[in-house]
Amino acid sequence: MILKPCSREKEVAELLRRGQWPAACPPELRAHLSACRSCGDLALVTETFQRARTEAAGAARISTPGALWWRAQLRSRNAAVERIGKPILGAQIFALAVNLFMVVAFLAYQARHGISWLSWLKQLPQAYSLHLDNLSQSALLNPGWSLMVLIPAAATLALLSGVVIYLATEVQ
Amino acid sequence: MKEPLPMHREFVFPNVLAGDAPRAAESPMDSDAFAGFYERTARPLWAYLARVSGDPALADDLMQESFVRFLCASRPEEGEVAHRRYLFRIATNLLRDHWRCPRQSSIEEIPEEFFASSPSSDQADLLGPALACMRPRDRQLLWLAHAEGYSHREIAQITGLAAASIRILLFRARRKIASLFRQQSSIHRRQP
Repeated sequence: MILKPCSREKEVAELLRRGQWPAACPPELRAHLSACRSCGDLALVTETFQRARTEAAGAARISTPGALWWRAQLRSRNAAVERIGKPILGAQIFALAVNLFMVVAFLAYQARHGISWLSWLKQLPQAYSLHLDNLSQSALLNPGWSLMVLIPAAATLALLSGVVIYLATEVQ
Repeated sequence: MKEPLPMHREFVFPNVLAGDAPRAAESPMDSDAFAGFYERTARPLWAYLARVSGDPALADDLMQESFVRFLCASRPEEGEVAHRRYLFRIATNLLRDHWRCPRQSSIEEIPEEFFASSPSSDQADLLGPALACMRPRDRQLLWLAHAEGYSHREIAQITGLAAASIRILLFRARRKIASLFRQQSSIHRRQP
């Protein structure tokens, strides 16, 4: 198909755009239209589409703008909360990863060095009362792994795990 | 002694939960301005969606979604004309998405009853069957150019096509649909 625009197309288009077609169309342009396929197509198609637009717009079922406004507000709000939630979620994942790393490191250390603190527990004299002073003195004297490190590590892990679980459930 | 400040998201990021914090500077349109804009543009937009898709129910859905996305988006330009053009762009993209992965109906399944029942005039009677024979993109181009009166440059902005190709695409589509109109007219004339 060869594209052959007519020089009078703009004239016809302007009349159609202003809604002055065919009333304000000069007779010589009308005569041109009957001979020029390009202008004839333009007039026929534009007139048909404009009429269809008027009819379809009249048949439109339009809801109230308020409902759409609030729907958009709600969507914007949810998007904003999601944007804020992303760094928080990242921090939670990081905290969880650190916790897991500590657990793994602890277990690996224990596996490597043996669970020496169990034997230390067995060595505790029966007469010793479970006072912190006694325990710490005994732990310091023991050359192997001591409860002085183990207990705070376990407590820290438990605390951090609790915080992570709390934050994770709070977001949900 | 001072009371501890509440560590709440609404406090840390003011107005975020009201939905207007990051967008406030970009979307000054308030509910009243939107209502006016909606009144002026909803019907033409619905007509575009209904006629191009051939599905009034789909047009209802897509029109609502278009307005919601329009409100949520950061609009590139200000002014009624630019807003209207942007709205049509959103609707055009939604139509394209629908055709890519139709949810309920295929683009090929044009509901005949819509075209049969809604138009009242002879010329509108020509449009439905003729549009059904056109490709979706050609329907969009024809509607935007001849029903909405957009220029080639504006159509390029709305559809995302190259401005240079709009002219030739539109010329071909117009020639094809004009032929279909003439064929249908001659068939109508022959019928008693």
